[in-house]
Amino acid sequence: MTESTVAHTGARLLADTVTALSQRAPAIVAAAADHLRDIVLGLHFHDGSQATMSVRHSRLLVEQELVGAPDVEVVFDQRAMNLLFDAQRPPVEQVLPHSLDVRGRQEQVLAVWRAFTLLAQRSSGLRYVQQLWREYREQAPRLWGRIAGDAAPAVSPHGAVPTGWRATDFLATRRPLEADEAGAATIGGTVDTTPRLLWDGRRSSSWWDVRPVGDADLVDTMLACRARTNREIDDMLPDREPKPDLYDLMKSYPARQGKGLRPTLTFATCAAFGAKPEHAARAAAALELFHNGFLVHDDIADESTHRRGLPTMNAEFGNGLAVNVGDGLNLLAVDAVLANLETLGLARTLGLIQEAMHMCRESIEGQAMELGWIHRRVVPSRDEDYFTMSTKKTGWYTCISPCRMGAVCAGVTDPAVLGRFDEAFRLIGIAFQIQDDILNLVGDEALYGKEALGDLLEGKRTVMLIHLFRTASARERERLGQLLHRPRSAKTQDEAEEVLAAMRRHGSIDYAIALADRLAAAGITHFENDLDIIPENEGKAVLRQIAHYVTTRPL
Amino acid sequence: MSSDVALSELGVPGPFPRSEFHHPLDRQWLHYAFLSPGSGHAVISNLSVLGAEHQVVGAPEGWAPQRMAILLVHDPVHGWSSSQFNAVQPDRPWSAFRLPHPHATPDGFAVAAAAGSPAVDLTLSRTSRPCTSQCAPFAGDQFLRWQSEPGVRGRGTLRTPQGEVVRDVVGYHERVRGRWSWPDLGGWVFGFANAPSGGEDAESGDEQGPPPWSVVFTLIQPERPVDAVTGSVMLWRRGRMVRHFPRRRLEVAVHGELDRDRVVLVPPLAAVLATAPAPVVPRRLVISACLGADRLLLDFEAFTAARIANPSETSLRPFSVHELLGPCTVHGVVSGEPVDFRADGIVEFAGGAGD
Repeated sequence: MTESTVAHTGARLLADTVTALSQRAPAIVAAAADHLRDIVLGLHFHDGSQATMSVRHSRLLVEQELVGAPDVEVVFDQRAMNLLFDAQRPPVEQVLPHSLDVRGRQEQVLAVWRAFTLLAQRSSGLRYVQQLWREYREQAPRLWGRIAGDAAPAVSPHGAVPTGWRATDFLATRRPLEADEAGAATIGGTVDTTPRLLWDGRRSSSWWDVRPVGDADLVDTMLACRARTNREIDDMLPDREPKPDLYDLMKSYPARQGKGLRPTLTFATCAAFGAKPEHAARAAAALELFHNGFLVHDDIADESTHRRGLPTMNAEFGNGLAVNVGDGLNLLAVDAVLANLETLGLARTLGLIQEAMHMCRESIEGQAMELGWIHRRVVPSRDEDYFTMSTKKTGWYTCISPCRMGAVCAGVTDPAVLGRFDEAFRLIGIAFQIQDDILNLVGDEALYGKEALGDLLEGKRTVMLIHLFRTASARERERLGQLLHRPRSAKTQDEAEEVLAAMRRHGSIDYAIALADRLAAAGITHFENDLDIIPENEGKAVLRQIAHYVTTRPL
Repeated sequence: MSSDVALSELGVPGPFPRSEFHHPLDRQWLHYAFLSPGSGHAVISNLSVLGAEHQVVGAPEGWAPQRMAILLVHDPVHGWSSSQFNAVQPDRPWSAFRLPHPHATPDGFAVAAAAGSPAVDLTLSRTSRPCTSQCAPFAGDQFLRWQSEPGVRGRGTLRTPQGEVVRDVVGYHERVRGRWSWPDLGGWVFGFANAPSGGEDAESGDEQGPPPWSVVFTLIQPERPVDAVTGSVMLWRRGRMVRHFPRRRLEVAVHGELDRDRVVLVPPLAAVLATAPAPVVPRRLVISACLGADRLLLDFEAFTAARIANPSETSLRPFSVHELLGPCTVHGVVSGEPVDFRADGIVEFAGGAGD
């Protein structure tokens, strides 16, 4: 949430809202960006603040000042602010014609109108956005004019007689539904809908009617799924010796701050197929344990020093203990898969074993490909080789297998149905990995969690490196090869900076960003087409947000 | 044949004390729902009969009405346990809806799963007067009569797979009689709450007598005709019904969704027959009612639900009855007297068999 010292201006509210949506509901941002395309917007707010909004690929970029000559200018007055993003009011169609003044070419004005309608309607259900706007409304009432900050009336607007409340007024104003903290729903607990009438004395609507599915809040959902998975892992870790040299160390990696992407995919897919998310808890725990076991071994192989902002297991305790901890995590992961026998039965557990075996096989094959390239001092010349390696090494266990295992938890074992996740999440997985590699080069270490330029020090074969070797002159390639093929311990930070400078010179990073965006877009198309067999529900809404995460991720 | 047609056109005689079943869709059920104050235990049982008692034309030899019974017990630690639809029931189960019998005369009520658990063996007694809460004609010749009695008290053994406890319970009993098919009926929202007894003030009454206040509400939502939707809120004061709010004077609203992990599918065999699509269950229910100067507001929030998957006679979609448990707050003014209590309640959301 915003700092108290920060000016609560309209421009800043827009920037904060777009930032929140990029992290929490990327599908909304991507859909709005799709309407806006190349239009540059100039925005003027009631408090005198101004902003410029533009689109880069599927990302919305906001600058809190007017930059250049916008294609379309939008002026918000207090009436427009009152109606936009207010969950308790009708959607943006109700904005009065003169309160949202939009000027520009006709088709561009209509595109802007569609984008704001979409942003207003879809983000109004997210609790975080509601809270953000409520805070601005309290801190900067001028933006909202006279009616800002009105407290809920203590007595019914329908008279002072006790309990003269109408049912929906009572639910909306007097005692609103609080977030289900005690239950901590893993999937579907982040969206707030408005109360609805089943019967008003004359007209009836059925309680079981399907409601439009709101956009999930990805950050909150991933936190809930990660917490649930960690609880399951804690329950599985044995309370026995040797704790200091094994079991305590086994807790170390899972407890480090991760995004929670894999467990969320597993829970969401299970829910998307109509089963209870709770059924996926052990499979999600198994995936996390496998993943952390691989990470421990991976860090040894790569001689990495930092993982998620902390020293790696091998750096802190030596390779011997680290190898053993990795083995222990993998063993516990097998135990977690088998533990499903009690809850899901034999058929689904066999399906999970098959999926887990497949995932492990793909991961070790991918790891072998990459380590083989490094060992033989080879940099592949084609992006496709990287795609194959990346899909095997990380794509399966990061994206594809979590979805497939979630589906198995819901009782889906048909290979034709499970296979529908493969292409969509293969492409999304590659895009995600390329973006991760870009962030390792240009991202903030504190946010990213690994040491800066760690991939260059390790000699990791990334799309940027492959592009650099493909486009560099023979002389440059020779020099780069000398740097790259030295053992990690012999490389210096300056040498890594030299490779990075060469990448910038040859446009390798921009090439990778554009490639990741193209792959992400293709992945989204496959997601919508291949997975149209899944009805719209809260589980699919979460999957869609994750799929769009790669399209709007800030780089 | 001609006598069957004549009887069918005349409708069902009764409802008291006994009437025969003439039509394949004739139904009756006796419903029992009890909560144990302070302990978090709940008991729900439904004993149902479907079909004509006499041989109907075209029916196979040996035709007999279908008799089913289901028992659900909620334990505060282990959650729901349920029988299949073949629970063992008494030949003549305890009910207020037969020949009149005096209040506070206890009688036994024992229902048990065929497997032995869950099971209840209760001694029940009446404290309040039953009343008709709904009389709903719909979809041509289909109809439903719903009679309710809150404030039923009992004591006895509740057995679940985890063990046995002896509890005092207070709850609700109903008889529903009618003729309908599930898609035509659509669905309903129903629930009750009994105000707690035995407090220090004189208002709260004694622990054996009628609850100081009881409230029962129904909203029946047939698919056709559109004006067939009906509902009511009924308020009992120390065992006597004192106010009936009719359908035009009600508003029923829901908010939020009950987390799917809190909804348990029953009976146990239902889970084996694949995951059937089911609507999301509302988490919060608010009903407001007004009549003249009288006002009432019920605010119920569920924390758990059992979804009873009833096979539909006409489609592959099961007809789901959700039994929700949670606290219910009731405020209001009736005849100048304030109504204000909070108690555990049970709410049913039923429906969803249509295509």
